[in-house]
Amino acid sequence: MENKVPSFLLEKPLPDLFRWRRGRLKVSFLEKGMQQLAHIITTGYLQPNTFVKDGLLQQIDARIKVLFLLFFVVIVSLKKALMPEMIIGTFVFLLTLTSRLNLVVFYKRVLFLGFLFGFLVALPSALNVITPGKVLFPMFHLSRPYRFWIYRVPQEIGLTAEGLHGVAMLTLRVMNSLALSFLVWTTSSFPEIIKGLKVLKVPDGFLLILSLSYQYIFLMARTMEDLHLAQKSRLVGQVSSAQGRSWVVGRIAFLFQKTRWRGDEIFKAMVGRGFSDRIKIYGIKKLNSRDWLAAGAFTAVGVLFLWM
Amino acid sequence: MEDLIRMEGVSYSYYNTIAAVCDVNLAVQEGERFAIMGANGSGKSTLLQLMNGLIHPAKGKYFFRGNEVSEGTLKNKGFLRFFRERVGYVFQDSEVQLFCPTVLDELLYGPLQLEMAEGAALDRAFEVMRMLNIEHLKDRPSYRLSGGEKKMVAVGSVLTMNPEVLLLDEPTSGLDPRTQCFLVELLLELSEAGKTLVIATHDLSLVDEIQARVALLSEDHRLEKIDACQALLADEELLLKVNLIHEHRHFHGQAVHRHRHSHYSRHKH
Repeated sequence: MENKVPSFLLEKPLPDLFRWRRGRLKVSFLEKGMQQLAHIITTGYLQPNTFVKDGLLQQIDARIKVLFLLFFVVIVSLKKALMPEMIIGTFVFLLTLTSRLNLVVFYKRVLFLGFLFGFLVALPSALNVITPGKVLFPMFHLSRPYRFWIYRVPQEIGLTAEGLHGVAMLTLRVMNSLALSFLVWTTSSFPEIIKGLKVLKVPDGFLLILSLSYQYIFLMARTMEDLHLAQKSRLVGQVSSAQGRSWVVGRIAFLFQKTRWRGDEIFKAMVGRGFSDRIKIYGIKKLNSRDWLAAGAFTAVGVLFLWM
Repeated sequence: MEDLIRMEGVSYSYYNTIAAVCDVNLAVQEGERFAIMGANGSGKSTLLQLMNGLIHPAKGKYFFRGNEVSEGTLKNKGFLRFFRERVGYVFQDSEVQLFCPTVLDELLYGPLQLEMAEGAALDRAFEVMRMLNIEHLKDRPSYRLSGGEKKMVAVGSVLTMNPEVLLLDEPTSGLDPRTQCFLVELLLELSEAGKTLVIATHDLSLVDEIQARVALLSEDHRLEKIDACQALLADEELLLKVNLIHEHRHFHGQAVHRHRHSHYSRHKH
């Protein structure tokens, strides 16, 4: 083989061609979205190193914490008044504090997801079209009430006291459940959680999918970030929305293909190492007195919350 | 010679927790062959990405032809074009770099971005394909290419933009010896043509072959030393310290013994 460098590669750009032009580059919504999604996955959901801290929950066995999570999520769902939900919230806050977690980072996640999946999802149900009751905040006034099939649209549309109570309840439930989940997640290592679930007789197939998905989601996010950087390195100007969409569609197809290939490869590698559909765990420790004490305390507090 | 690339006290960490590059000061001159060497995870690829303005230093400053390259300056349309048309980056994983439907589209992407006329852009693409012996692949989608072919297309897609500086991340990794040899010859010819080459690698023989000036990164992501490759490759203690050579058992004829060993041999005439 012989290299023959084309003549254009011998041309040098003039160094003085550069001038600061007016106008700043706008990053397209799609580009920003992909970048942010990959960033959120790799930073937000990557298990932080907080489970090695010397806090209260970090010293308790993962099996106790998994049981505590399940028990308290049930309690959170059973409560029908705002006050007990708020007291449970305060209890979780105290546990977060004593586990020496970063409160700002912790509650930023809880509030963001609670707002998205609790408040925003439930908000329309506060309208008197869905939840009848006393209108506290009128929003629209129609000329007359309407009937449509089984629905009744009143003359005055607004947020009702009963509806707002329901929204507040659902938001608090979602936030408390999220805070409990994040609390266990951030104070236990992932393999310990899997071990805990295995001991609690969660089916192996489910655990296998869980642990493979957890690892693979970061590989995907990494590939997504690399794809974004590769495009960025060859972009000399702004991308139109149409070009942006076309690129994103192409990359989704590429990721889909890559996922399929990677899935096949992983399965072959697993088979090659003697994979059976059973998860083998090792190093299960006996629960110590601190774990039993914590289990007793959580049960007592849980029963108290149920009684309230 | 003028400093084309200058880094002053550059540090970068992933997710603000995992340190990748710590307090690096270096300068690359125009037309130079420059290698960044270090063990796996020492921060070579991160340093290249910083040089390409794909990520930005958490601390320190980076200058290209005396202009600071930052998130802010790259938002200026004039500077973005100035910078991108002069600095080309060949990724280690060629797969992520190829995002167009066919090889020809891939090679045309850069020139069309630079608003070149279609005819001139096509001329460039075909000239590069002839140079890289990949003309027969022009209508093939990137996922139907072998590893070596992908690497060639990735190099070609950057060359059609005719950058002044070529940043190459592990360019010879995963290639068969013949393709490796072809690529090294190509790099030398590009260097003779006046291109500045910055190569991240842990391949000692590649650095020896292209006789680059070397920046050696330590395993704690700091710059250990910058020196000419001959001086650096002769310093066994240093190479051992940064984990680029090691001691292991191996055969010499029928005799097995153990001593310091690197997997490259100097070229002898």
